[in-house]
Amino acid sequence: MAREAQSQRIAGGAPRNWLAAFGKYLVLLLFAALSLYPLLLIISTSLKDPLDVTADPFALFSSFNPVNFYDAWTLGGFGGYFWNTVVITTISVVSVVALSSLAGYALARFHFPGSNIVFFIFILGLMIPFFSVMIPLFYELKNLSLLGTKAAVILPAIAGAHGFGLPLGVFLMRSFYMDLPEELADAARVEGANEFQVFRRIMLPLSMPGVAVLAVLVFFQTWNNFLLPLVYLQGSENQMLASGLYLFAGGRTGEYELAAAGSLIMVVPVVIFFLIFQRYFIRGLTAGAFK
Amino acid sequence: MQTRTEGDAAQVPRQKRGFIERYLSVPPLRRQQVYYAILFIAPGLAIYLVFMLYPFLNTIYLSFTNWNGATVTKDFVGLSNYARMLGDAAVLKAFFNNVIWVIIGTISPVVIGLFLALLLWSGTRGSLTFRTIYFLPFILPLVVVALVWQWIFHPLFGPVNKLLDSFGLEQLSRGWLGDPNTALYAVLISAIPGATGFVVMVLFAALQNVDVSQVEAAKIDGANWFQRAWYIVIPQLAPVITMVTAITLIGGFAVFDNVFVMTGGGPGHASEVLGTYTYQVAFQQNQAGYGSALAVLMTVLSLVSAIVFVRLRERQSNGT
Repeated sequence: MAREAQSQRIAGGAPRNWLAAFGKYLVLLLFAALSLYPLLLIISTSLKDPLDVTADPFALFSSFNPVNFYDAWTLGGFGGYFWNTVVITTISVVSVVALSSLAGYALARFHFPGSNIVFFIFILGLMIPFFSVMIPLFYELKNLSLLGTKAAVILPAIAGAHGFGLPLGVFLMRSFYMDLPEELADAARVEGANEFQVFRRIMLPLSMPGVAVLAVLVFFQTWNNFLLPLVYLQGSENQMLASGLYLFAGGRTGEYELAAAGSLIMVVPVVIFFLIFQRYFIRGLTAGAFK
Repeated sequence: MQTRTEGDAAQVPRQKRGFIERYLSVPPLRRQQVYYAILFIAPGLAIYLVFMLYPFLNTIYLSFTNWNGATVTKDFVGLSNYARMLGDAAVLKAFFNNVIWVIIGTISPVVIGLFLALLLWSGTRGSLTFRTIYFLPFILPLVVVALVWQWIFHPLFGPVNKLLDSFGLEQLSRGWLGDPNTALYAVLISAIPGATGFVVMVLFAALQNVDVSQVEAAKIDGANWFQRAWYIVIPQLAPVITMVTAITLIGGFAVFDNVFVMTGGGPGHASEVLGTYTYQVAFQQNQAGYGSALAVLMTVLSLVSAIVFVRLRERQSNGT
């Protein structure tokens, strides 16, 4: 922060006159308005009186009808979508973190033949877009009688089909464990700890910053993901918020206020989560960008 | 016994024994480690192989068949799915739209994002607030973003048309998403704020590493804001700019959510992209074979662009 302030003072240099300063803030505020406007439009529409919706659904904050949230939660089915999404996201996050930590640790610390090949196979997944597994995976899940179940989203999500699963996790956690000092593990071994205890009691607690980054990335990716539930939960009672919202908005075009309330039910946890874990989220993304 | 030593190990890992004593007492680890390696890696690897690598290889296999998703046998048809693509007007349209998406959807966020990041960096009050606001569209679910922009472009009630009307430009207002000439661009606009927020965030972080003494020197020499940005700051940001460009660009070939929700690829195939067309072929027309070939095409396109950028970046880092 101090460095940031310093660089701002010396380097950027304030624009020479008030006109330039005015222009600068005008540009910044205009883009801020453009960024915020969609969110404001959802909030405004979600609070609209049904009568007001038929007159002008998108005039900002012209009526106040919070009952929409109750209606969306119950009649709109968003309550069910919400809990499905919570369960699917939680299991995915916990599994990716646990399995990536284990595999990443083994690949970073254990000496065994073929470790480089295993690592390469995992990394390959970073280059495979979802579309190139989507079709056979559909029939595979169908044959396993998993189509339409929560597992139909959870298992592909763990495997990395939506981008932030095991391949990213193994990559992140392995590089994290490679930087931890080996002496700590040796000391624990001397004390009689087996390899799992060394991992669980010494290394895993030390890797918590890495775990947090990974967990936050997987949370966002799973919560927001649209294609996985769209394809693998079609017509199922396990529908998630993303696909549920799409079906709702496509089916009942008139009820903008309920679609908006449903959107907000999906968005609020994301925004809260982001504001709390912003640091980890941005660290994860910038680390990826700088690599 | 076991639990006690374990607890000791966790709390006082180093103090109990000297270095040599500790070294001598470490058992031969290799064999034990192979066993634990299997134990640690197997669960993750199994899920990854079954739900990622196997279907990936299967996609390549299916792309050489004419399977319709229902029959038991899969007839091998060689390259005919790939040949069919060349004559499929919808594929050509979708590919062309993807190229437009990649070009406009990459250049505009990078240029706008770079400009905003530089503005924020040059001594701006509330820089953190601005950055958080710019970043918000990036974290929002794409389905929600697409839905709202669908409303913004609504022919009757949409704020875009209302705004045009209020400026007396009624002749310009239209059903933006229903008009073949504007559908793709209207969808594209919905994706720009999010991508821009991402660019601002990454570039602002990179700006913290810029050598400020050079900028200061240029300032003393009388270089104005644009000259300092162009000649001093941007060259130092070049590797990161290449990286965000690559990330945005590669994502451009896999675009789906915005198009699918806002127009479904329509009207006709006017806003079709490879993602929406692959989905339609695979799951609405049940042509698993042809759909797989399209998926392979998408994979190749994003791989090729990724490789081009890695090369570009290597050349860049060799140059400096």
